[in-house]
Amino acid sequence: MKTSSKILICALVLVLCASFAFAGGKKEASSSDKAYVVGKGTLVVGITDFAPMDYKEGNEWIGFDADMSKAFAKELGVKCEFIEIDWDSKSMELENKTIDCVWNGMTLTDGVKKAMATSNPYCNNAQIIVTKKSIADSLKKAEDAKKLKFAVEAGSAGEEAAKENGYNAMAVDTQAAAVMEVAAGTSEACIIDSLMAAAMVGPGTSYPDLTYSVALTTEEYGVGFRKGSDLVSAINDFFKKSYADGSMMKAAEKYGTQASIIPQK
Amino acid sequence: MVQEVLLRLCAGFIKTIELFLLTLAGAVPLGLIVAFGSMSKFKPLRIVVRFIVWIVRGTPLMLQLIVIYYGPGLLFHQNIWGMGTSGRFTAVMVAFIINYSCYFSEIYRGGIESISKGQYEAGQVLGLTRRQVFFKIVLLQVIKRIVPPMGNEIITLVKDTSLARVIAVYELIWAGQTFIKSDGIIWPLFMTGIFYLVFSGVLTILLAKFEKKLSYFN
Repeated sequence: MKTSSKILICALVLVLCASFAFAGGKKEASSSDKAYVVGKGTLVVGITDFAPMDYKEGNEWIGFDADMSKAFAKELGVKCEFIEIDWDSKSMELENKTIDCVWNGMTLTDGVKKAMATSNPYCNNAQIIVTKKSIADSLKKAEDAKKLKFAVEAGSAGEEAAKENGYNAMAVDTQAAAVMEVAAGTSEACIIDSLMAAAMVGPGTSYPDLTYSVALTTEEYGVGFRKGSDLVSAINDFFKKSYADGSMMKAAEKYGTQASIIPQK
Repeated sequence: MVQEVLLRLCAGFIKTIELFLLTLAGAVPLGLIVAFGSMSKFKPLRIVVRFIVWIVRGTPLMLQLIVIYYGPGLLFHQNIWGMGTSGRFTAVMVAFIINYSCYFSEIYRGGIESISKGQYEAGQVLGLTRRQVFFKIVLLQVIKRIVPPMGNEIITLVKDTSLARVIAVYELIWAGQTFIKSDGIIWPLFMTGIFYLVFSGVLTILLAKFEKKLSYFN
């Protein structure tokens, strides 16, 4: 027991040190992130399956964000590679250099802005209440929902909206889990992205009894890069250029997001 | 900041310990009942129990959690867990105890079947009933033999508690992850590893002591 506990203590101290090394790991971004990406010849885009922004048709990723990332990679003169990530780990994936950007209808929350360098907003989105049809009929404005029990994704814009409105909300893992809570009756309503709600609930989905009602807050989507990355100015220029020449709106019309695009000036 | 992180992680850790202790308290005895069922001389019972063990051991615990918690509402429009945190915790306990008693039952079965038939016969010759033979002769030897494999499962359970987060029971990993989501800070998640290591380290020492205590026949 004596030697074994000594070894144990040594091991614990080692792990402790290692975890603080992560804490202190605020190294400055290497001279140029753009040069790094151009150097290796691929832009690795971290995404999730999220129609209409990024989704699969056959073997190819398409969608408004996917098309725009391909165009941006072409502009940089590199190949574009999509990698599906765990959304919770997006900032780790970036810092770890396993992806170069997060481009997947990412809401620019305070948390996101702290964790990564972000582009100018390019698309509007709203946080919207999803609930059973029977309840939705009695919801006219945000206050009507005060008595409901909500499920929201932890750390999401929906959770912030619930806090602002003083709702009784339970944080769950993902937006999809929040919708499942409502369908299973373990919560009465949830708050998710309006773009996602449009694709996920209603006739033809697994949630035909659910519908969306009151919109709470509007918010903006942006693209995330590593902290201090010079790709941010590159993408802002790209957005301006593609908005000016109409290619951004053309891509948006293809996926039905044209009404939400933010003019890039 | 460090203080706030520690506070939140400790709160998560307490939930983790609760999950761990209650699962053990439920699964250790229930496992014995399942073991008897899977060894029963009554064939239909044996088949049913072994079928259940197959299902439980053959599917991921994460999936079982989701099915047990969301299944009643989604499939039968009858949410049996109610709303709020206590229903979630109960659902996790049900899933964990069922899952672990199935694993434990196989360890028990292995232990019980490893005792030679001769001992049962010797007991009967001495005029003991089957029940007496089991509790006075067999059980003690079984306990001795199953401590190492049980220790293995128990330490696995320490880490499996982290699955409770999929139905929003706020255990240790959840606590670590909230800092990534809300503040963009990664290190608390890595720090949770220390809690798990300390916990399983303590358990390893306790199990070693227990094993030593049982070594009186040697």
